[in-house]
Amino acid sequence: MKPLIGVNHSAMECTSLSTSAPIWQDVLAQAMTGELLAAMNYTALSEICDDPAEVADALEHAEGERGHAAAFAAEGRKIGVDVTNNVDAKHWKRLRDAFMRCIAERDFIGCLIVQEVMLESFAVASYSRVGKVAPGSLGKTFAAIAAEEEEHIDHAMAILRTERALDAQRFDDKVYRLHLDVMTTLAKMLAKECKDGHCEVCHTSCVKPSLFDVSLSAAELRGASLQQYLKTLDMLGIPGEETLAWVTQLPV
Amino acid sequence: MGNSVAGIAGRGRTIEVDFALIGHQESWGAAADVLAVLRGPERTPLPDDEIRDILPWIPPRAVCHVDVGSIVGAKARGLYIDSFIPPDHLEAAYVHENIARVRGAAAYAIKAGAKIVSLGGFSSILIEGNFDQLPERHDTVFTTGNTLTVGFIVQGIKKMCALEGRNISKSTLLIVGATGDVGSGCARCLAPLVKRALLCARNVERLRRLAAELQADGLPVEIATDLQRFSAEGDVVICAASLASPSLLLGRIAPHALVCDAGYPKNLSPRTEMLDAKVFFGGLGQITGGLRFAPDFHGILNRHPFPDVVHGCLLEGMALALEGRFEPFSQGRGSITQERVEEIETIAARHGIYLAPLYNADGPVEDGLHCQTEWSRG
Repeated sequence: MKPLIGVNHSAMECTSLSTSAPIWQDVLAQAMTGELLAAMNYTALSEICDDPAEVADALEHAEGERGHAAAFAAEGRKIGVDVTNNVDAKHWKRLRDAFMRCIAERDFIGCLIVQEVMLESFAVASYSRVGKVAPGSLGKTFAAIAAEEEEHIDHAMAILRTERALDAQRFDDKVYRLHLDVMTTLAKMLAKECKDGHCEVCHTSCVKPSLFDVSLSAAELRGASLQQYLKTLDMLGIPGEETLAWVTQLPV
Repeated sequence: MGNSVAGIAGRGRTIEVDFALIGHQESWGAAADVLAVLRGPERTPLPDDEIRDILPWIPPRAVCHVDVGSIVGAKARGLYIDSFIPPDHLEAAYVHENIARVRGAAAYAIKAGAKIVSLGGFSSILIEGNFDQLPERHDTVFTTGNTLTVGFIVQGIKKMCALEGRNISKSTLLIVGATGDVGSGCARCLAPLVKRALLCARNVERLRRLAAELQADGLPVEIATDLQRFSAEGDVVICAASLASPSLLLGRIAPHALVCDAGYPKNLSPRTEMLDAKVFFGGLGQITGGLRFAPDFHGILNRHPFPDVVHGCLLEGMALALEGRFEPFSQGRGSITQERVEEIETIAARHGIYLAPLYNADGPVEDGLHCQTEWSRG
């Protein structure tokens, strides 16, 4: 039966988004910052690769990440918010510094571990959760980008597994050293409350307490991210009892 | 014999695994203790709210290595794998989620190369009727461990009767949860020894089948789906079902009944409307040939008032590993016989695995026994 009054779906979506737009603005700002940082990381990686195929690969990934950042900015415009970014914000800068230390050492494997195992686990898990609850094209964009990021991880896994097969002990020690550096920072970012003051990405106060209003929570994003990280470490073959201890020792 | 352990190659390398034990924590307190050990003494323990937020996201995985020794010199090496079922998700509403977690733990055990896997606690209950839901396996066998659990329940009943000066042949036995794998095994072992056996369970068809089987052997058996009908009549009671509301039974129990809490988790307390009934925890065994956890989870993973006490379901896999018998000793539901119970008891005893000292939520029930260490219930 035809409705007596036509229902304009996009009008309803806009109404619902208008109340939550400031929350999505901050969620998008964090995601966009992460994507731009990843683009910078891949560009830097291309400069230490010897194999032309690896150089091309890294540059292609950098371009892809810039595309993701642009897609998030476009989603912001659709809901009437300006999505800013700040790759120099304190947590993001620390993550960037950790990656650049690997670059300085021309440590290709270390770069892959930081970017693909740690940062991408966080991106895939959190984008997937956001993709499930965000309305309309916003949700679809997050879900689609999560799927693309997951492909990155698959690509890197083959290289990392081959590396681990050469010397498992040495490889696991390297992952642990990088874990202490990178995952400690990510854990602070993912903590239920920001204990070190403003993150320098959210446009006003911290977005975390408001996430409940869009059916998300900081605890859920952290849980999903750590779960994805543990599963990625499992795929590398690192003993689960060790990675469990690593994760339980992170700050909360 | 089970001297099949290869040397440990070091951290990050493959270690030969004879057995795996799949379990989970019964309470948030127990989960907090496990995470505290993993965090190490130099870090502050995680607050309760953080534990409740984090634990449900942890994928099934090994928590520690377990070395078990036999009194005849055999050794076996294993893993304790936690399915990380949240302690407040043990109800039927979470059954599909929990089966998925046990499947994940089983897959982990297979990948680790475990030759035999024991399903502990709720894992056993979930899988005993769903073995086909375990992942495809090649050189790994699974056992619910229920046969040795039945053996220790039966031994405990006999010991408690002796301690209390009861003649078991003059007793009326009530089994709550009689059609489950453990309950029906207890019925087959104990019905021939008692004057009268009362079987209680929710599924009347299964009850009728079990009663017919026992009656065919000339045993005096009665059945009921309504617990209230029998609860005041049993003077030896086995609670083999994890009652959602134990007080349903305990409020009407015969005043001097001997009550074996054989359910999971153990939740019958002598303080709850029990009058003079004697409650003890059943199905537990003690390793006398040596048990070592790495890292050290003694008293954390086995939270009992006596050393090296472990649930019978887990001990079955350890005993079979020490024996070098990597076979699915207990599978499915309702196939535990007295002969199989005697067989696994013999294997366990050969390696120094015996009935644990009897205790309940208040501590030891045998005079003259003292807890080795102060223990806490989660």
